Amino acid sequence: MATETDTGRLEFDTDFGFTSDRIRYGWYGLLAVLLLVGAYAVYLRITQGMASTNLTSTTPWGAWVAFYIYFVGLSAGAFLVSTLSNVFGMEGMEKVDRDALFAAAISMAVALLFVWIDLGRMDRMYHPFIWRQITSPLMWEVHAYVAYIAVLVTELYFAMRVDLARLAARVGGWRGTLYRALTLGRTDTGERARERDETWLKRVGILGIPLAIFLVHGGTGVLFAVAKARPYWNSGLFPIIFVVSAIVSGAALVMGLYVLRSKVLGGDLDRSLLDRLAKLTAAFVLVDLAFFLIDMLIALNSLHPHDVETWLLILTGEMAWSFWLVMAGLGWAVPLALLSKRSWRRTPALMLLAALSVVIGIVGVRFNIVVPPLIVPVMEGLPAGEYFPSLVEWTTSAGIVAVGLVLYTLGVELLPLEPLGDDK
Amino acid sequence: MSQSNTPGVPDVDAMDVDRMVENEREDPESVLAEADHSTDLGLAMAEDAKRVGRGELSSEQFWAKYDEAARAEFGEAYEVTPNPAVDSDDQTIDEAAAESLSCSVGSMDSVAAELDESEAVEASTAAADVDGDSDDPTYGMVIDLQKCVGCDSCTVACKAENRTPPGVSYNVVMEEEHGEFPNVSRTNIPRPCMQCTNPPCVQVCPVSATYKMDNGVVNIDYERCIGCRYCMIACPYGARYFDFGESYDDEITEADEITSPEYGIDRHEEGRVEPVGNVRKCHFCHHRLNRGEEPACVETCVGDARNAGDLDDPESDVAQMADSDRAFQLKEEGGTDPNVYYLK
Repeated sequence: MATETDTGRLEFDTDFGFTSDRIRYGWYGLLAVLLLVGAYAVYLRITQGMASTNLTSTTPWGAWVAFYIYFVGLSAGAFLVSTLSNVFGMEGMEKVDRDALFAAAISMAVALLFVWIDLGRMDRMYHPFIWRQITSPLMWEVHAYVAYIAVLVTELYFAMRVDLARLAARVGGWRGTLYRALTLGRTDTGERARERDETWLKRVGILGIPLAIFLVHGGTGVLFAVAKARPYWNSGLFPIIFVVSAIVSGAALVMGLYVLRSKVLGGDLDRSLLDRLAKLTAAFVLVDLAFFLIDMLIALNSLHPHDVETWLLILTGEMAWSFWLVMAGLGWAVPLALLSKRSWRRTPALMLLAALSVVIGIVGVRFNIVVPPLIVPVMEGLPAGEYFPSLVEWTTSAGIVAVGLVLYTLGVELLPLEPLGDDK
Repeated sequence: MSQSNTPGVPDVDAMDVDRMVENEREDPESVLAEADHSTDLGLAMAEDAKRVGRGELSSEQFWAKYDEAARAEFGEAYEVTPNPAVDSDDQTIDEAAAESLSCSVGSMDSVAAELDESEAVEASTAAADVDGDSDDPTYGMVIDLQKCVGCDSCTVACKAENRTPPGVSYNVVMEEEHGEFPNVSRTNIPRPCMQCTNPPCVQVCPVSATYKMDNGVVNIDYERCIGCRYCMIACPYGARYFDFGESYDDEITEADEITSPEYGIDRHEEGRVEPVGNVRKCHFCHHRLNRGEEPACVETCVGDARNAGDLDDPESDVAQMADSDRAFQLKEEGGTDPNVYYLK
């Protein structure tokens, strides 16, 4: 990545955008289309209200809530992967550290957009900060999300500051101004300043780990687990499964982005790092699968009618394909097969495939968490639900995801998300 | 007088009615003669009061004219009463005119506010004397399943009373069939909101928009609810409904013209939006309870299966029925302790 400059000294690359303009414009073009479609869908959502969804009073939560917990999980998972480097000092992982943090921050923003659009009164989204109800997990969650975003932004700052300062010194124009602004005036790139940043990065990371595990994602699991009216969720294991599947999706995301980044943006790919990320993903897929089976066993053995009925609905109901193909197939079977062989784990294309498979499979996991217990009525004699997201729900979701992708791509093109090379 | 062709309808016109009223009216002079105060002053003020009513005289002029005489006649009682004005929005003569008169207490509104305050203070000291909220009733309902015929009148009465939109039904009747032909039986279980003693919906609301009132009814604050629907997830009885903004207007002309004063607030009159985007539920017809009436479903029940009353009062019908051997609650094991009981 080093280029010769007129002074004759080797310098680090200051341009880390797309290497091919065709890919760049194609990608932004696709995102622009998604944003436009999404914007129109959001317009319909706002003018028609919640009637634009296929939600009912029997099934009051659907696609938006599923995507919300999906992106919270993705964020928490990616953040925890980042701490492997900056807290636990795992070697080689510093290459994906910032990228993981940035993806975590963007995912969290996307998750909050999903919560927002799901509110019956979007104009009252600030109410949980004013009229708190201390017994409500949802009230605690929104506060935890804010604290968590603060942790992510602080982490990113300490992880990137030195490189931002170096860039500011070397790049002119608006980019130079942007980098200078992002250093918040701390432009010292000396060894002492670098060490101080690393110390703070570690400290904030240590604070962030329990926040991400217990409050942000464990807490989101608690949000469901406390609903005693829905026995399928009402289990102590539920929040733990939430965290494990979050790490699965986060690790896969970081692995996928690492491969993509080297393919699209150029640069070399560390195959042993790829192997390590792949093993991590595989290990957590196995843990996730094991906990899932334990949870199912407990539920079926309880013989609680609502619980058993919900499980039978998932395994054999109308939407069983989403369990067998998406959740079990893409989420567990495909990645476990692809991650099973050492030579495959070192093949970037296959690992990208495995990562994509997991990232899509976990979407199936989230839908199968939210929807099935809201199909089986809470009492015999009440109507059963029926739910498949409406076109407005799908297209607003695509638009919101596109917002995240635009922000992420801009970050990749402008920010030193991969550590810059040395000066000499 | 013209001959009427409609049987059973008396043939009278407006003049006849006026004459009938005039006949029934008591003679002002003899009425006032029995009172302790001046008859002449009373008659004069009555005549001028009529002119105020017709708009020929303003209340300010009226009180300026009688201020001195009224003070002389009624003394202190006159001085501490605001001068009423039927032609004014706040029912009191305007500030400037009131200043120039001998009455010293300000507007009707301020007097009313003071009265409310002193009553509230009295009430709170009374409540403090006896521990807690023992003054408040705990509204409960007892539904006799042996008397329920499954006619769904309660559901219809509820929709008519609360003007709920399509998809929102505070009360439903759950119908269950048991056994196999020919040995079948059928149970109808009407399901309003259980007004749980320990409501799971209240626990999970992130904005405290739903809460339990002292009278046992679980309330929803439509000004605060953000529509996250967490309470619907948490309710073990499926008693909560989301208002998707649908309307019967397509089927019935002007269906939305009449609204219900839910929780005592008529949103239609006050120009507020209906609770679209909020969660709604049965509130035991709280506006009717406040008027001393029974909930609409109870009043309408054809088999007298539904009963409402104060569960705290051991003498009340509902308290005694809820105590009987036949009484049970839905999902008792859940710890919600509903205030709706069923008799099996």
